[in-house]
Amino acid sequence: MFKMFKDLSSHKELMLILVQRNIKIRYKNSVLGFLWTLLGPIFLICIYAIFLNLMKFDMNLPSLVTGIIAWQFLAMCMGDSLHAIIGNANLVTKASFPRIILPTSMVLANTVNFLLSMIVLIIYLIIVKVSFGPLILLPVIIITQLALCLGMALIISTLNVFFRDTEHVLSTIMLAWFFLTPVIYETGYVMPRATELIGPAAYFLFFSNPMTGILTAYRAVFMSSGITGLHLVGISFAVSWVLFVIGVIFFQKAQARFGDEL
Amino acid sequence: MSENVITVENIGKMFRLKKSGYRTLKSAILDSLRFRGSAMHDFWALKDINFSVGKGESLGIIGINGAGKSTLLSLIAGTKQPTEGRIQTKGSMSCLLELGAGFHPDLTGRENVLLAGAIMGIPQVQMRQRIDSIIEFAELQEFIDQPVKHYSSGMYVRLGFAVAVEVNPDILLIDEVLAVGDAAFQRKCIQKMDEFRQNGKTMLIISHDLRTIQAISDRILFLNDGKVFGIGDPQSMVHSYESLSRQLATRGLRREWGTGEVKITGAEFSDKNGKLTDRFRWGDLLDAKISYDAPKMIKNPVFGFAISDSNGRIIYGNNTQIEKYDIPSVQGKGYVCLRIDNIQMSRGNYLFSFSVHSSDHKVNYHRLDNTFPIAVESDKPFEGFCYMPCHWKK
Repeated sequence: MFKMFKDLSSHKELMLILVQRNIKIRYKNSVLGFLWTLLGPIFLICIYAIFLNLMKFDMNLPSLVTGIIAWQFLAMCMGDSLHAIIGNANLVTKASFPRIILPTSMVLANTVNFLLSMIVLIIYLIIVKVSFGPLILLPVIIITQLALCLGMALIISTLNVFFRDTEHVLSTIMLAWFFLTPVIYETGYVMPRATELIGPAAYFLFFSNPMTGILTAYRAVFMSSGITGLHLVGISFAVSWVLFVIGVIFFQKAQARFGDEL
Repeated sequence: MSENVITVENIGKMFRLKKSGYRTLKSAILDSLRFRGSAMHDFWALKDINFSVGKGESLGIIGINGAGKSTLLSLIAGTKQPTEGRIQTKGSMSCLLELGAGFHPDLTGRENVLLAGAIMGIPQVQMRQRIDSIIEFAELQEFIDQPVKHYSSGMYVRLGFAVAVEVNPDILLIDEVLAVGDAAFQRKCIQKMDEFRQNGKTMLIISHDLRTIQAISDRILFLNDGKVFGIGDPQSMVHSYESLSRQLATRGLRREWGTGEVKITGAEFSDKNGKLTDRFRWGDLLDAKISYDAPKMIKNPVFGFAISDSNGRIIYGNNTQIEKYDIPSVQGKGYVCLRIDNIQMSRGNYLFSFSVHSSDHKVNYHRLDNTFPIAVESDKPFEGFCYMPCHWKK
């Protein structure tokens, strides 16, 4: 664990270059390039606005786009992490450096995108005049989500080195995870039915999904009122950090064999 | 060579190979249900490797394909972890493994150089100062801002080599760089390596180019079958490597047959001083001692030999009958000696065949065809393999 922080701090420049490279490669051959990071969330908000109007979908727009943007951060990290190691096989087999830099720089590149989306989101929220909650807590939530994303990315990038099935398993898991998380619905909307089915434990189960608490926290910070389950957010945060620690330990144990497998 | 900068102790590297195909989740589950190791087999690419390299020393590594040379270098570079044993290195290290040093095809040459520097832990400021000399050495002034995917393989190698040397490491590891690139660039590389050597840097070089490696190494490590076959003086290591490759070259041509009433159990060659060798020079004397074993007494056997070129074509042959050397009988173990007073053959590798048959040629007791290789060094210019003394007159 300490080794990880030592490795990362002694290779700051490499990390910076890899983050830049990840961002650069994503927008290579595109005319608007980096501008897409801003255009993406703007279009997203517009399209969901039209969709909500047409479908009479029972959810308010700020809450929906907050959920989608936060979910996208996780989904992008998961998708990219599949290739964080195997896509850099030429580096892993030809040079010696702390391998953890590869998935970390990939997650950080996605974090840059996410932060820019957040700015667009916050501007939008200001325009539609939501009543903000304790915005001061936002960095805590973002860092927790970052820990979750990194932990998961470390696990997935490692698994994909040894088992190429990971890619297919992951797409299924991500779909299930998406619907288990209150992204396109509100927690308050499903809980009565869930409690009816499995009793009072339903709340604990629902919030043991780290993304549930993270989304709930974002919504609480952005739209203070009418949030269900705020007192259970701590469970989700704890799970996020546990996954982060598991990810780091797992990765550090497995990385010695990367050179042989690639 | 006061201090060792690379110490390799009892290194072993095992690869777990699946008997067929890729490893998938399904196969991993199936394997764990089966008895251990049934679908995998262990392969030791390296075993019991011990050596050390002193500061300022150049160590060449030679061996046939698959001997474990590249694996050894990647263990020292740290891209692979040894299964057992310990490797210690001191000082900064720059490596050129399998060429290209991990360039990303979509980044430009310049970006890749900076990336390579960052991987080696060199501050960007320093890297920017060095980039001009890197570009100059690689002769890529026009192309440095193009993505490397548009590079020719020669350009790729030039850039890789330029980065590896210009970052000025304490230890330089090079895997087969001399095989690629045109003659001019190869010369430049060798020159650079010489310069490197003079500056008291340590180098480990893998190459199949025996002349070059002999010239630029202080010592040579000869790997065979994942083990140290020998380490020491470049010339003697290159000789024993060449002798081994000759043995291997006979494999496809070697034939053995006969009734076995007399068996040829071995043959060894020696020079005029009686020293065992398989290397001879133009005009040298060659003594061959051919051991046999005859369980029962055999009357009037005829011993013969033939010399073939490396493709197995006979270029000369003779026997005791032709030379009217009568052997009344053989029984038990013994040997016959063959002396060639004056080897007059062109430079190259040759294969000796030995045979023993009955005097009427009806029974072949034992024949070992193309089994014993020798090398001949010669500067005598003539056509063909075998020289015949001749005179011109007008």
